[in-house]
Amino acid sequence: MRLNMVIELLDVPGQLLAALEPIGTLGANLVTVIHQREIKTERGLIPVQITIEGDTETLDLVMNKLNELGFRVIEVDGNILKETINTILIGNIVDRDVKDTMDQINQLKGVRVADLSLKMSEEPLHSSARITVEADFGKKKDVLAKIQNIGKSKDFLVISEV
Amino acid sequence: MRICLMGFGAVGQGVAKVISLKNDYLKEHYGLELKLVAVTDSSGAAISQDGLDPDLLLKIKSETGKVSNYPEAGIENIDGINVLDKVEYDTMVEVTPTNIQNGEPAKSLTIKAINDKKDVVTSNKGHLALFFRELIELSHQNGVEFKYEASVGGAMPILNFAQETLPGNEIKSILGILNGTTNFILSRMTIEGSSYEQTLQEAQQLGIAETDPTQDVEGIDAACKTVILANSILGIDCTLKDVQVTGISRITSEAIDLAKKEGYLIKLMAEVSPDSLDVSPRLVKQDSPYAVDGTLNMATLKTDLADEVTVVGLGAGSVETASAILSDLINIWKSQK
Ligand SMILES: NC(=O)c1ccc[n+]([C@@H]2O[C@H](COP(=O)([O-])OP(=O)(O)OC[C@H]3O[C@@H](n4cnc5c(N)ncnc54)[C@H](OP(=O)(O)O)[C@@H]3O)[C@@H](O)[C@H]2O)c1
Repeated sequence: MRLNMVIELLDVPGQLLAALEPIGTLGANLVTVIHQREIKTERGLIPVQITIEGDTETLDLVMNKLNELGFRVIEVDGNILKETINTILIGNIVDRDVKDTMDQINQLKGVRVADLSLKMSEEPLHSSARITVEADFGKKKDVLAKIQNIGKSKDFLVISEV
Repeated sequence: MRICLMGFGAVGQGVAKVISLKNDYLKEHYGLELKLVAVTDSSGAAISQDGLDPDLLLKIKSETGKVSNYPEAGIENIDGINVLDKVEYDTMVEVTPTNIQNGEPAKSLTIKAINDKKDVVTSNKGHLALFFRELIELSHQNGVEFKYEASVGGAMPILNFAQETLPGNEIKSILGILNGTTNFILSRMTIEGSSYEQTLQEAQQLGIAETDPTQDVEGIDAACKTVILANSILGIDCTLKDVQVTGISRITSEAIDLAKKEGYLIKLMAEVSPDSLDVSPRLVKQDSPYAVDGTLNMATLKTDLADEVTVVGLGAGSVETASAILSDLINIWKSQK
């Protein structure tokens, strides 16, 4: 079985070798490696395309090992992996805002609101909402910018993840 | 080393305590004798070329509130600038209140001392947040040392740490909790489920928050430290107005609760990077290095070689802050031998 993936690497010597090492050690075959140092991912890392071959079990082992070593796989066989982004809003949040906020976020490509939790305060001007967004890898900046914008226009305090 | 100590509040008194405590140790290990030749507060000064007794200074300050009551050496209503002219000294230790309007009196005192070719150590961040480049350049032109470890994070080692312990590393960004008062308030709100107002009052009763808490809770204090880190560690030329600041006064216990349910805490984080100078409440993972509680400060430095390095320590306190001042004094002493 063949598996294509894209992983993110730091642009420092030894990173690529460290990522390739478990592939051979665990018994998978390395088919191709495409390493373009001039392209950067959203986090400022280098995306490396790797194709490997082996049985399902071996491939699973490789994927687990890469995870364990802290390498981030962002795409497998053409499917962009998702990441979860949590933010909390505080302000005069009413139903209308919630719906509108969700709609605006959902308009972004590859992004959807996966969960929403509201907590009304005794002081209605200070209600809180937690929005959990699922987004394609690489979309985090867009999502956070969008939420900041919404926050500004509606006078919400936006608390985003570090 | 003859020292002019400008300001005799919490930090100034801490410096006197540390000098009293460590004098023998410093002599033995570094051949360094710290001699206080002048001390000022808002009442005036005590000046003695032969040296003032730190313990007597502390006693007189606590009993009468004024250093100018020091026997024989006391002078009422003398201006700090005049004190610097009246006495021969090597290093000015400047610990007057932080002023974010015009940086005074720290700015004028510092400029005078540097122009007089004296080394300067400070815990003050007002003048640094407003006039960082100007002051540093002046110190370079005059070939004197100007050190300010205590101004960021109190006893938490960060400036000297980055420069002396991580040399050769490029520091790409810093993310940290740089204000103990707000960290205390947010930690208590998280543990107790209490409201912001109630917790602020508690912090004021404990002496952790000031009567006017604006500088802390609105993020201004953390923003000043952001400016100092940006200039001194990342080489970003900026001042206070370049920092995007949001405080914690709108945070509610409900918001903290929502965060908690997903494994997050709300912390007032300072972000220092070439793309962003920002102080704002952020979500951090409960098991991350950012999850430090109480009045602690922390900072994670992202470097090119050493990856991430995190420091933690007490951001305030009399003797704690004086410890950072002492490390600057010892470093100056060592560099001149
Ligand atoms: N406290 C901390 O833990 C801590 C930590 C890190 C950095 N810092 C910084 O260190 C500095 C000192 O803090 P602190 O807590 O010691 O403050 P403080 O307790 O308010 O003491 C300030 C001292 O400066 C004196 N003073 C006030 N105005 C003056 C003037 N115009 N000229 C000369 N002296 C003047 C005061 O006189 P009186 O005694 O007569 O009032 C007092 O002795 C501040 O810039 C602060 O931001 C403090």
